[in-house]
Amino acid sequence: MIYILEDTINGILMGSIYGLTALGLTVIFGVLKVINFAHGSLLMVGMYVAYWTVVLSGLHPYLALVFVIPVMFLFGYYLQDILIKPIFRAEKNVREPITVIIVTTGLWYVLDNLTLLIFGPQYRSIQGNPLQGKMLELGQMLISVPKLWGFVTAILTASLIYLFFQKTRMGRAIRATSLDREAASLMGINQYKVYNVAFGIGTATAGIAAVTLVPFYNIFPTVGVLFDIKGFIIVVLGGLGSIGGAILGGIIVGLIESVAPQFMTATWTEAIVYGLFLVFLFVKPSGLFGMKYDW
Amino acid sequence: MTREKFNIIALAGVVIVAFGLPLVVHSATYLHILILLWLYAYLTTSWNLVGGFAGVLPLGHAAFVGIGAYTSTVLWLQYGISPWIGMLIGGLLATIVGIIIGLPTLKMRGAYFALATIAFAEGLRVMVENIDRLGPFVLNGPRGLQIPPLETGLYSFMFISKIPYYYIILVMLSGVLAFTWFISRSKLGYLLNAGGEEPEAAMALGINVARAKLIAMAMSSFLTALAGTFYAQFTLYIHPKSIISLDLSFEIAFIALIGGRGSIAGPVLGALLLRPVSDFSRIYFGDTLPGLHLIIFGVVLILVMLFQPRGLQEPLTRMFNKLQARLFASKAMEA
Amino acid sequence: MKILEVQRLTKDFGGLRAVDSLDLDIEEGEILGLIGPNGAGKSTVFNCVAGVYPPTRGHIYFRSEEISGRKPWDLCKYGLARTFQIVKPFASKSVLYNVMVGAFAITDKTSEAREKALWVLEYLNFEDRKDTRAGNLTIADRKRLEIARALATEPKLLLLDEVMAGLRPAEVDEMVAIIRRLREQGVTIFVIEHIMRAIMALSDRVVVIQFGQKIAEGLPQQVAADENVIKAYLGEEYAVS
Repeated sequence: MIYILEDTINGILMGSIYGLTALGLTVIFGVLKVINFAHGSLLMVGMYVAYWTVVLSGLHPYLALVFVIPVMFLFGYYLQDILIKPIFRAEKNVREPITVIIVTTGLWYVLDNLTLLIFGPQYRSIQGNPLQGKMLELGQMLISVPKLWGFVTAILTASLIYLFFQKTRMGRAIRATSLDREAASLMGINQYKVYNVAFGIGTATAGIAAVTLVPFYNIFPTVGVLFDIKGFIIVVLGGLGSIGGAILGGIIVGLIESVAPQFMTATWTEAIVYGLFLVFLFVKPSGLFGMKYDW
Repeated sequence: MTREKFNIIALAGVVIVAFGLPLVVHSATYLHILILLWLYAYLTTSWNLVGGFAGVLPLGHAAFVGIGAYTSTVLWLQYGISPWIGMLIGGLLATIVGIIIGLPTLKMRGAYFALATIAFAEGLRVMVENIDRLGPFVLNGPRGLQIPPLETGLYSFMFISKIPYYYIILVMLSGVLAFTWFISRSKLGYLLNAGGEEPEAAMALGINVARAKLIAMAMSSFLTALAGTFYAQFTLYIHPKSIISLDLSFEIAFIALIGGRGSIAGPVLGALLLRPVSDFSRIYFGDTLPGLHLIIFGVVLILVMLFQPRGLQEPLTRMFNKLQARLFASKAMEA
Repeated sequence: MKILEVQRLTKDFGGLRAVDSLDLDIEEGEILGLIGPNGAGKSTVFNCVAGVYPPTRGHIYFRSEEISGRKPWDLCKYGLARTFQIVKPFASKSVLYNVMVGAFAITDKTSEAREKALWVLEYLNFEDRKDTRAGNLTIADRKRLEIARALATEPKLLLLDEVMAGLRPAEVDEMVAIIRRLREQGVTIFVIEHIMRAIMALSDRVVVIQFGQKIAEGLPQQVAADENVIKAYLGEEYAVS
């Protein structure tokens, strides 16, 4: 019984980290109405950036955020500007240009394999980092400390992003553009700049998620693929465009992953997650908290 | 000589070269590469029925390849049923699955449809990887199924030489191309095009867009599954990671997109251009620069989507037309 | 015979009542005009009749059969065609191709569809453009294409949604002539329009709605003189009472 509680707690913690990884995806979709298929690869890039920052500077992983966040933000900003903006310009009247999906899928392949080429396939992890393998004892339960840090980071990040969209001028501009880009641009908002910023934020969020993962997760070129697919599942569950939904969706997936193996094999667990995903796609595609989207 | 005659002669020339290659190419390696080339051309052309004509983005077609491969292989290994018959049964099974998948998903927006196909394909792979037996059928999970090369001949769809395989896949490719050409000129072709371009207008003109797409999906899944059987009989070994892989699904989609989805020659063109790149970069750079061909694919895909979203067949067709115009204009001058 | 009967049609969008208990009939062979200030609910009425969305309340009868909630493609096969206010040509294809798509509603064979499409284009004096890419047409020609496409489906009732919008006066006159000719083909016409002179010249009868409710109905001249109509369009100050 105590194991189930322990699993549940760890599942929630890990799930919140999953939610954090999916947060960027949901923000990008909410604003640009495109699903960024390269999101997992961006996460992977973030992990490598975090890894090298820590290894080269000897800093505490979470301090690396100071470097990771701006780097990832700019990376995302310019990716959107160079690769995706031209498509938006060309397909002005299409509400959801499929070409963008195709381009981001190509980007996924390029990033993953370029990383493979440059850094090699070996698994890396940050040796001797202050969080590695630490466990917190709560009565008879062992709670993973890096995951706890991740949980706190996830909640903090989600809240900050939410506040950003509600309170700041740029945030409101972004929301306006996401609702109606024509109207927003008539109000003097440069929609392309807004998209760039939104993409930058989404990518920076992936960078934050990467930093939370790096203390305990292995880093290798295709690490993003797992998170990519999980990310899609999470945002569909939680609702595309919903910040709280992403965290909640992540927690659901995290819970299933940690509790279900008590009762079935790990791979059937995977099948359940896919099954749930498909159920939501068919029954409630807008997810638990997603915005109403004309299907 | 009229333009029509020129086109027919050009086409005949291509056909003769394609069918005549085995007479000049004797190396087993090169034949193998060519066979896979035609196989990918077949797969991308079949994909094109949904991905091009119906205007959606299916990213899980490897699932149908897997269904075809496993169906015919299991029926052969356990019951001695000829893979040709198994091929048809696999095709029918894939059609049913395709319709089941298509019914709820084809109504969705582009990105969601793409995600759903990925989920189905991955879900199928995970299931096959974990099931050793499905009722009376042995699937052997991750270890896959091997076909012992015992009896060769037409009935068992097994040959010592590569040449029969070459002609089989070439005939299949020709069939699928002819089928696509025929569909594009038919009512279904018009309806699919219209539904893909302006669904609201199409519906107001009497087109049940969802149903047209479903028909396209059914045809595509059937044809794709046939290739699965071919692949199984050609390589004599299938396992989930190779045959129901996301990489395969994506490669098929990428090639079709780069070549030009929605056109008839586009997917074949894509295969003709990209497969050699893939093969050669794997042969020569496989050890030193792994994954190079995937980087090239990705970069080419991005560039094509940014600058020639209708695929490379568009500029190539234009060049061909210009060439024709010049040939015939000069003839007119002479006369 | 009443080809279209709309009874107590009501359409709500969430809290907004776009159409409020509207009654409306069209006799076979008529041209009925539907006018009203912006936002009156005209397009909503069309969309309900054309099957784009089902009415919240009320009934719609087409050729004496209830059609509320039926899908647009079924309705088209049954004889109800429509054009769109914001034209939706298949821009990458030729004019002929566009009209052929419409013709496929009544035949399965490509050759027959082509014949029908060519006939329609000739009828509308449009065949010289048959190979032009639809996306390259002028706005007036695109509107003509919308009508041609819809006509190819051999409709009994044709819903024209602001086909005159964006046309110059000479083009408006041309369009009025075209629409009048459609009547020769046995097509009943239901028109939404903003351009007064077109509606007055075209319609046998006119229905005026405001805020989703019918405020006047009758012959064009009667309606133009109706006090409520004047108030609706021009405001209280202009009513003579």
